[in-house]
Amino acid sequence: MIDVKTTLTYSILKIFLKSIKSFLITLGNVGKDFTKVLYYILRLRINLKATIEQSSRFAVDSLPITLTIVGMTSVIIAMQIAPELAKQGAEGYIGMLSSLVMVRELACIMAGFAIISMIGSSFASELASMAVGEQINAMRVLKVNPIEYLVVPRFLAGVIMMPFVFILSSFTGLLCAGVISHISANLSPLNYINSLWQGLYIRDIFIAMLKASFFGGTIALISCSCGYSTRGGAKEVGIATTRAVVWSFLAIAVWDYIFAVIFYL
Amino acid sequence: MSIIVKNLVKTFDDKKVLDKVTFEVKDGETLGVVGFSGSGKSTLLKIISKLLYADEGTIETTKNSDIAMTFQYSALFDFLDVYHNIAFPILERKEFRGKYSKNQIKEIVKQKLAMVGLEGIEEKFPSELSGGMQKRVGFARAIVTNPKIILYDEPTAGLDPVSSTLIEDYIVRLKNELNASCIVVTHQMSTIRRACDNVILLYEGKIVFRGSVYEFLKGDNPYTNQFINASLEGPMEIKTAI
Repeated sequence: MIDVKTTLTYSILKIFLKSIKSFLITLGNVGKDFTKVLYYILRLRINLKATIEQSSRFAVDSLPITLTIVGMTSVIIAMQIAPELAKQGAEGYIGMLSSLVMVRELACIMAGFAIISMIGSSFASELASMAVGEQINAMRVLKVNPIEYLVVPRFLAGVIMMPFVFILSSFTGLLCAGVISHISANLSPLNYINSLWQGLYIRDIFIAMLKASFFGGTIALISCSCGYSTRGGAKEVGIATTRAVVWSFLAIAVWDYIFAVIFYL
Repeated sequence: MSIIVKNLVKTFDDKKVLDKVTFEVKDGETLGVVGFSGSGKSTLLKIISKLLYADEGTIETTKNSDIAMTFQYSALFDFLDVYHNIAFPILERKEFRGKYSKNQIKEIVKQKLAMVGLEGIEEKFPSELSGGMQKRVGFARAIVTNPKIILYDEPTAGLDPVSSTLIEDYIVRLKNELNASCIVVTHQMSTIRRACDNVILLYEGKIVFRGSVYEFLKGDNPYTNQFINASLEGPMEIKTAI
């Protein structure tokens, strides 16, 4: 008689069910924390000093790596696309294509990825360490609300600062694409700048800024929530950080899809 | 009246961690709580400090009294220096915001640090302090709002005997200066001897001994006898504790 528990199907099913359980727990925690965060924001219980500190960390500290990633991505894309378009006599579209790709999609999503890796993971590990080291309990005993003190400022920092990161990323991406187009396809800067606006509307920029704001808030919330709900020791801090990064990636991909369906379908 | 705990019950995953625990701590009294690991001591403190909710039972404390708690590993905020750790409740709690000037807060922090025998370390970060100093900074932070109830979760854990003695002395000193009621969860006999007035012994969530330190140390009770002598033989089964 075969022991069902030793079969491959059973193991796969077990892993699958475990993932679903983990997903539902994370979703539940994020939803619960979001309700609390919203409650404090609506009641204007905002720690301004902490919000400014976190905003600076969110935008300024992450900027070098964010701009490098966005810049490099746009350089690589421009390097491959610009000569091909030039060969077909479509130099006039290089700027348009760059601006469409960069503003509508790439700057936001690449900045999001960079922020998750740098800031989201640090939010998660920081709060997880605080949770396992009983610092969050200490805060509660001292009658300081940890959600109000730790999560609300980080969430607001994400919502407020991410659009600025997006604008700088877009600018950097377009600048890099322009330089590369000039080098690899001999496209004059003036032609490039003129063609930038051919397919891009102000509406696109606002939509992308709104999307960036959603990305920032989601990254901060998921990261804080995963960290905040950690119990155990060092191993759990690592698991919480990984979970925060994975779910943040997934969440911004979902948001990206939702925005594309709502505004561009 | 300071702390009256009645019929406290707490269950985790079908395991009764506290089973109808009842006791009283009078004004200015220090109660030692001892027991094997997993006997429900820390859970008891967490329920009194409202970090956890009890399934059943009540806790009565003096109205409007702050409950302070110190943690086993100090739980100092590692992103803040000593000054901001101690001033944290005054700076961040709604009812204290704007109540004190900067100079007054400085004075309060200095005074609390002096009470635990530490001076001039305001600018240091927790990572720059020894274990004993971290504990004392934790004490200073706990008493910054002049609480009337102080809970100590294993205050001497991980410290050398001399540092432990120092911590025990500060537990007594703080109690006297603040006229506070204290509960000390500990494994250390010296802490019971030096810092406590009465003792309860918990085993499998139940109080199996309640009495004065003298009665506890006499070891007439089979439970206290086994505990004091660290014996494997006796009414308490060790396997449940490990």
